[in-house]
Amino acid sequence: MPSNASSPSFISQLCFGNIEEDLILPYPKMKAAEQETFKAVRSSIEQLLKPHDKDFRAWDEKGELPAEFVEELRQFGLFSLVIPEAHGGMGLSATAYSRTLQEIAKYDGSVAVTVGAHSSIGMRGLLLFGTDEQKARYMPKLATGELIAAFCLTEPGAGSDAASIKTTAVKDGDDWVLNGNKLWITNGGIAQFFTVFAKTGGQADRGNMTAFIVMRDMPGVSIGPHEDKMGIRASSTTTVHFDNVRVPAANVIGEVGKGFKVAMKILNSGRTGLGGGVVGGMKKLISLATVQAKERVQFGKPIAEFGLVKQKIGQMVVDCYAAESAVNLVNELIDSGSQEYAVEAAIAKVFGSEAMWRTADEALQIAAGNGFMKEFPYERIVRDARINRIYEGTNEILRLFIALTAMNEVGGQLKELSESLKGIFNNPIKGFGVLSEYARRRASMATSSVKREKTRFTKLDPALEKNQLVFEELTRELAGAVDRVLRKHGKNIIGKQFASKRLADIMIDMFVLAATMSRVSTSLQEKGATAVTKELEILEVLTGQVKDRARANMAKIDDNDDELVKSLADHALDRESFSWDNVE
Amino acid sequence: MPIKILVTAKRVEDYESKIKVNAQGNGIVLEGLKYKINPFDEIGVEEALRLVAKHGGGEVVVASVGTKDVHEQLRHALAMGATRAIWVNHAGPLDQMTVAGCLQKLIEKEKPDLAILGKQAIDDDQNQVGQYLAEWLGWSQATFASKEESLESEAEKSKTPALQLSADAKTLTVIREVDGGLETLECSMPCVVTTDLRLNQPRYASLPGIMKAKSKPIEEHTPATLGVDATPKITVTKMEHPPARKAGIKVPDVATLMDKLKNEAKVI
Repeated sequence: MPSNASSPSFISQLCFGNIEEDLILPYPKMKAAEQETFKAVRSSIEQLLKPHDKDFRAWDEKGELPAEFVEELRQFGLFSLVIPEAHGGMGLSATAYSRTLQEIAKYDGSVAVTVGAHSSIGMRGLLLFGTDEQKARYMPKLATGELIAAFCLTEPGAGSDAASIKTTAVKDGDDWVLNGNKLWITNGGIAQFFTVFAKTGGQADRGNMTAFIVMRDMPGVSIGPHEDKMGIRASSTTTVHFDNVRVPAANVIGEVGKGFKVAMKILNSGRTGLGGGVVGGMKKLISLATVQAKERVQFGKPIAEFGLVKQKIGQMVVDCYAAESAVNLVNELIDSGSQEYAVEAAIAKVFGSEAMWRTADEALQIAAGNGFMKEFPYERIVRDARINRIYEGTNEILRLFIALTAMNEVGGQLKELSESLKGIFNNPIKGFGVLSEYARRRASMATSSVKREKTRFTKLDPALEKNQLVFEELTRELAGAVDRVLRKHGKNIIGKQFASKRLADIMIDMFVLAATMSRVSTSLQEKGATAVTKELEILEVLTGQVKDRARANMAKIDDNDDELVKSLADHALDRESFSWDNVE
Repeated sequence: MPIKILVTAKRVEDYESKIKVNAQGNGIVLEGLKYKINPFDEIGVEEALRLVAKHGGGEVVVASVGTKDVHEQLRHALAMGATRAIWVNHAGPLDQMTVAGCLQKLIEKEKPDLAILGKQAIDDDQNQVGQYLAEWLGWSQATFASKEESLESEAEKSKTPALQLSADAKTLTVIREVDGGLETLECSMPCVVTTDLRLNQPRYASLPGIMKAKSKPIEEHTPATLGVDATPKITVTKMEHPPARKAGIKVPDVATLMDKLKNEAKVI
């Protein structure tokens, strides 16, 4: 996978009909030296967390991790995962970090979130944009956990619309003076190091914000009470308030005024930590559900022998394998220095969090009555899993982000065409030269008979031929649909959320399928066919599912009931209630 | 007085792995297995670290025999705090005499004050290496070392060693687990100790410990360079699962139970 800073995004290229297979093949493997470290880390984590297995339920009920346990996490070194070795950390790659979060998430969601919020977002701004001096000053203490980090972006009025924050920073001499309130800050109650975003261009200048390092002990910083949450209850979530907090100019992260980019980069880069967490959760659920299904006897046999139970378990395996493949591929993109992984990282987050949700829901269903009881772990896992679809970018916002970002380049080309050749569609002859290149490319996409280099996979194992053909066919259809949608809506596509969502769903499915093909193909070439029969079966099932879903989504782009659905929504919105009753 | 202790780190299948006999019936299915340091050896490493800490420093040297895979277990012991490691590079089947032979040669080279080994490995449960080793070295031995207090005790929390070394480091007092109680032995040093399950609660390797272990040296030997003939004297010819337990039955009352015990099971 020889990608680097200038590599394009796989999904953006797919929107042109190009399959950039070198971005996803061969499927990455953790480096041997890092594997050795990781195995040691894994077995230590087991020793650390397993003895607390019974405590996690109690801490969930209480809604807090005891201070002694947080201290144990510090001593163990769990806050040092992504900090470079030179600053006293483990220096884990994205791949190994995400894999480590898997292991933690197998035991408890709250612990995974506490560790993840510190490493994935809390101190990530310092890691990505910090000056050498800032790093030398804070990282050794962040590594030991003497400082625990939190990420402060969200505000009461600014959730998905992060640019609308109201916290301000005003320059006063050498300092900045911060005022404002942050909401739902993970680790708020135990953090000493806050990455805070504040407006630096006045309230009118919407996008102008800056990232600051703010310490808990600076005068004017205060913390609200623990929030009483549905899930990940033992992790600390609080409000954070800034009342005339003087922050030295040396604490600015990145450039003044460029804070929005800093925030987005942090979130993009941290998203695979969440991906690792959900994959770990799914693996745990598969173990729980299979044991449960074999133990529970009804109608004289274990329920594992019934088709409807097998269907659930089989789907869990497919979902878990597919999600892990996508997460790993994105990790590798990050580790190889690629700058174009935001869309793919969002895809891994959306698919992973939803696969985790399905898996948790179905595992609880297999355990049925037991699953509903607090004595069993299922209900806690379901509650913990729910947040993954909400935080670090809601899946709705991420879907729009995926579709619009991926189509951006195609849109750019279309715009170029229409601007350089005004009225081209009225007078095709005038602009024939430029258009013909574009038209030829489109023609080659539309017909499989024209063989262009990047419309096909050339490096997949031949055993995957059927899957490959499905993918290539879908690629042509996706490129056609993107082109059609952009021509129809132009810039107004931003307001066309139904169409964008369908395109995003197709892209999500296709990236996950591509990642899974990559993994199975590489596995096949390394281990031989007999060793990967089950993986081939997973791919077979996934290919069928992706094909059906993608086709349905394509068909619905043009032929749908969207207007009716909107009208019904408007009707309910108008009355703020359901309007029909069988009582007159 | 600084002391030097040799400990072991056998690579064994994780006790949570599902062990299945292979199709040939001469070994187990290796696919999907996870491996660990033998838990009894881990207890040995912990005890050695505590003794060294209590007696003003010294060295804990960890040894293992096997393919390069055993580096994982050696690094685990190093991450716990062992000073350095010795790897006896050997592929193929091993029996207890070969392992004891290799350890004997290592001890003759390293001259530790004490060797602490797991009483047995959880893979084949042979429980023989420590005994062979003491015999061949001509050292005193104490097997099944255990603790007087419980694993919840204050002594355990403060990581007090259960093995008591005299101030002049000439005798080691060992409490050992025997049927129905505990026995206290005084061994003259040097000696071989094997550990039982209730000796201590091993520490976990912290992440900084894992990072430090990366730069600790692993010295390589082979049975040949040590002058040990590695030809196994014992070979495994057959393995099989224990027969599955038959389902029990419920009886309505004591009379039926007595009747069945007498007439069906014929045990009374």
